Amino acid sequence: MAVVVKLEPDFSEGSISYNPDGTLNRNETKSTLGPHSRIAAQAAFYAKVKYGARISVASMSGHVANTALQQAMQTCDAEVLHLYNDVLFAGADTLGTAETLKAGISKMEGKMDIVFSGHRASDGETGQTGPQIAWKLGFPFLGHVISYDVNLEKRTITVKRLLSLQGMPDVIEEVEAPLPVFIAIDPSYKHSFDTVSERLTSEKYQREAYERAKNYKDRLQVFNSEKLGVNRGLIGLAGSPTIVYDVQRVPKGKATRHAEVLDGSNPEHIRKAVARMREALSAMVTK
Amino acid sequence: MTQEYYRHLYVVIEQIDGKILPVSFEMLGEARRLFDDFNARYSSNEKVVAIILGHNIKEMSKELIAYGADVVVSVDHPEVKDIRNIIYTKIISQISTDKEIASKIEPSYASEFKKPRYMFFAADSIGRHLSSTVLVELDSGLASDINKLVIRDLEVTHQIKTAGKPVNFKKTLEMYRPDFSGFLWTTILCLDNRNNPVIERDYSPQACSIIAGAFKPISPDPKRIGVIVDYVPKIDEKDLRVKILSRKVIESEVDFESRRAVVGFGRGIKDAPEKNIKLVEEFAKHLDAEIGISLPISKNVYPASPSISSTYMIPARVIGTSGRKISPMLYVAFGISGASQHVTGMEDSEFVVAVNPDENSPIKDQCDIFIKGRMEDIIPLLLEELKQQQQVVQA
Ligand SMILES: Cc1cc2nc3c(=O)[nH]c(=O)nc-3n(C[C@H](O)[C@H](O)[C@H](O)COP(=O)(O)OP(=O)(O)OC[C@H]3O[C@@H](n4cnc5c(N)ncnc54)[C@H](O)[C@@H]3O)c2cc1C
Ligand SMILES: Nc1ncnc2c1ncn2[C@@H]1O[C@H](COP(=O)(O)O)[C@@H](O)[C@H]1O
Repeated sequence: MAVVVKLEPDFSEGSISYNPDGTLNRNETKSTLGPHSRIAAQAAFYAKVKYGARISVASMSGHVANTALQQAMQTCDAEVLHLYNDVLFAGADTLGTAETLKAGISKMEGKMDIVFSGHRASDGETGQTGPQIAWKLGFPFLGHVISYDVNLEKRTITVKRLLSLQGMPDVIEEVEAPLPVFIAIDPSYKHSFDTVSERLTSEKYQREAYERAKNYKDRLQVFNSEKLGVNRGLIGLAGSPTIVYDVQRVPKGKATRHAEVLDGSNPEHIRKAVARMREALSAMVTK
Repeated sequence: MTQEYYRHLYVVIEQIDGKILPVSFEMLGEARRLFDDFNARYSSNEKVVAIILGHNIKEMSKELIAYGADVVVSVDHPEVKDIRNIIYTKIISQISTDKEIASKIEPSYASEFKKPRYMFFAADSIGRHLSSTVLVELDSGLASDINKLVIRDLEVTHQIKTAGKPVNFKKTLEMYRPDFSGFLWTTILCLDNRNNPVIERDYSPQACSIIAGAFKPISPDPKRIGVIVDYVPKIDEKDLRVKILSRKVIESEVDFESRRAVVGFGRGIKDAPEKNIKLVEEFAKHLDAEIGISLPISKNVYPASPSISSTYMIPARVIGTSGRKISPMLYVAFGISGASQHVTGMEDSEFVVAVNPDENSPIKDQCDIFIKGRMEDIIPLLLEELKQQQQVVQA
């Protein structure tokens, strides 16, 4: 099985830096294994403990993505790390990215039964990459997965998916699919190891992962476009239908209300604010 | 490369158990506005085509026409009763390239027709992934989470697309996408490669997924006239290999609907997350209010005790386009800047109070009372005052 992970800005406290206008300062913000990617790696670890799966991790990025791969290895005790690094990969939109990652996954040793991705990249990205890799691989795609179990004899997977749609109550859908599949892990994914032996196995692999991640370079394989054997017309800028044409500030929305500005340090103003709030609430009763 | 291979705007409708989701009507509304203008400007007669899949959905086609569709392609079949990615992707792709359907949409161009010119999906749990796979199948580009659209002729110079030379791209869809901060708009274009002969590739449709709540539907007109095409899909057994075993509605533990007041908090908690959330909690208790949050809070980036973070820093509490739309009598926003995605979720509140030290925060234009100050200072004062005023009533 394989996990695709992404290096993203580190949104944890202290690492993130904003420009004065409130936008993300990408130069000063540190990078790390994306939180969604981390959850995907955790989900893969479940299969390692439960079913003895062999895990490979892949990322398409510059060399700095080493750190993300190392962190992913520590999370899921991966056997192999793939880094796809080439100037020709750069500037890809999701279609171009998916082509590279598909090629990489196809190059992995052994047959892939499950491929995991994160729900979306957390720097406000698209969530499109996972399903696009899946379609290119010819695997069924299951998104919003919050838990899963594999039936090794039947070679099937059953997953629970969390669907939230505008104006509807959330739905949990239980789905069965034959392997191989591609699943994108929902942020609310959780698993627990129920038996003593699972817990012991989990601890053992965690120790192993810790040691392995120290020497992650031993297991790191770097591929350029030639080594991956990808068609240059399908990757990077050349293989990307979409371009970013312009970036501008969103004009301030029209004021929909006219605010009365109160000064929080003035007790009279606080009294007024509370009175107005209570008024607003009592309007309901008479309505 | 004549433009006429690619025609019309196809809108992929979502319905669950016979109910069309609001975002579908919103997309049709925007499609209608864009195409009335498009046809007038380019003296053409291209259509807004709605695609709907489901079982026992005959009635819905008329509704879609009332909401702005010129043509509805309807697939009524037991195998597409519930939404499943593979079979939906295959059928939508079939419809998008089918010449017979094209001939019913616009007979004069049917023989040339290859693919839609533009395509809309919803940016939700279904459409996000469906759009991704359909656009791989159709081999074209896709922008996600769009909230503004413009069609125009554009001169573009691009290293790859035009080999550095200016090229005029006609009828280009500018797709505006708010970034993570909510304050930057990225315009995304889907353009053919015109740097012949290196990598000539046509990219149609120009497609995007659209944020729920971003556009307004048109007011429905039951007398609007349109064409309904019943499409019988070609179904391959192996495309049905994913089986839905069960679907369960989950009652959210978060109840925005029956409460009169909602109290929201955002990144303004940052200086003392745990302490500030406890203040918000107490304030909400006194107003009998439900607690909501801005999207970044749900990402668990602020240190807080497990009980606080598992109760409050959760997706179910997010207010906005990625979460819930609320309409309480009173909404109080602590430390929320008022990004457009958040505002979409709370703008229907009757009365809005914001507490924020920064008078330039956009929330100021979205509230009735703006209390200037830091939440850690203001909430205790509000609490004290609230207790006093409530006591007076009881006495
Ligand atoms: C596709 C997409 C979908 C999105 N969907 C949503 C959504 O559904 N809901 C949502 O909320 N966001 C959504 N966002 C994110 C949105 O763009 C904003 O980033 C987010 O709403 C900002 O959250 P915030 O107001 O908490 O933080 P910020 O923008 O960082 O604002 C914090 C505010 O706190 C104030 N402050 C600072 N210190 C204090 C203090 N001591 N006391 C009080 N106030 C203080 C600051 O002045 C500032 O105004 C989405 C983004 C994208 C790209
Ligand atoms: N360059 C990349 N390398 C590896 N995985 C990626 C890359 N881009 C996206 N992904 C995966 O796809 C998910 C969704 O990303 P996105 O489509 O960018 O929102 C991420 O959580 C990752 O699992």
